[in-house]
Amino acid sequence: MKFIAGKKLSDNKTLRATILWMLFALIVAMSLSIVTKGIEFGFAPDEWIKRVIGNEAEFIEPLGFKDLLLGVHTDLFGLIITFIMIASLYTRTAHSEVVKIGYMILSIATLLIYPIGLLLSGMLGGTGVVLSLGAFTIFHLLAIIASLDLIIAIMRKRY
Amino acid sequence: MNTRLLSFLALGFSALTILQALLGTLLFYHTIGFSLDAINNYYAPKSLHGLLEVLLPHTLFISIALMAITHFLSFIQTISENTKRIATHTLFLLFVLDQSSVLLIASGFEIFAIVKLFASTMFQISLSLVWIVMFKHTLKAVEKN
Repeated sequence: MKFIAGKKLSDNKTLRATILWMLFALIVAMSLSIVTKGIEFGFAPDEWIKRVIGNEAEFIEPLGFKDLLLGVHTDLFGLIITFIMIASLYTRTAHSEVVKIGYMILSIATLLIYPIGLLLSGMLGGTGVVLSLGAFTIFHLLAIIASLDLIIAIMRKRY
Repeated sequence: MNTRLLSFLALGFSALTILQALLGTLLFYHTIGFSLDAINNYYAPKSLHGLLEVLLPHTLFISIALMAITHFLSFIQTISENTKRIATHTLFLLFVLDQSSVLLIASGFEIFAIVKLFASTMFQISLSLVWIVMFKHTLKAVEKN
C-alpha cells in the first residue's frame, strides 16, 4: 500500500523490521492455512471431491451450499488481505514488469477460481472441486514464494 | 511507482472485493433473507456474543478493505478530490450504519431492520460505483502506457 511502499525500505530500519516480520508471519499463516485445509478437506483431489460432493458408497454426505458459501466467504477474507499486502510490496521490486504482472494475474485468477470452482461444484462436479484445489494450492505457493523473495530482497538491501 | 502496475493491482483488488461482497450478499440471502420480517426474526433473538461473532470479523475486514480501496482512489486523477472525499465518507458511514443497526435490532428496535436493508444495499451500490470508476481509470492508464 502507499504508506508501506512510499519510501525506500533500506533507508528506514523500523519499517524494514516491521515488513520483514509481517512477511514472516504471512508465510506462517499461508503454511497453516494449507495444513488447516488439509485436515478439513484432505490433501489429495479425491479427498476434496469426497468431502465436497460426498460419496454414496461410503455414506459421506455432500457439503451443503450454505456451508460452502460460509467457508469460501471466510477463507477469501484472509486470502485477499494476504494478496494485497504481498502484491503492494512486490510491485516495488526490481523484477521485470512481466514477472510482476504475471504474479498478479496468476494470484488474482486463482483467488477467483478457488471460490467459484467450489460453489459451482454442483454443476461442474469433480472438475469444479479439482480446479478449486489447484487454485488454492497455487495461490498459497505463490504467496510463500513471493514473500520469501521479498524477504531476501529486503535483507540484501535491494529494496 | 509504475502507474500501470498499480492500476492493475487496484483492478484486481476491486474485482476480488466485489466477489467477496457478492458472496456475502448470497450468504445473507441464504441465511437470513431480504425481507424486513426475516431480518427481524434473525437478529432479534440473538445474544450479544452471537452478534459479535459476526460483527467482529466483518468490522475488521471491511474497514481494512475500505481503507485499501479508498487509498487506491487517491491515485486516480480523473475525479476531483472532493468526489473522492465524499465517496470515502459515504462508504465508511454506510458500513458503520449497516453493522451497528443489527445491535439496535437485537435491542428491540425493530424499525432498524429498514436501516439495515437500506445501508447494506446502498453500501453494495456505492462500492460497485467506486469499482466502476477504478475500472475506467485503469483502462485509461493502460491505454496511455
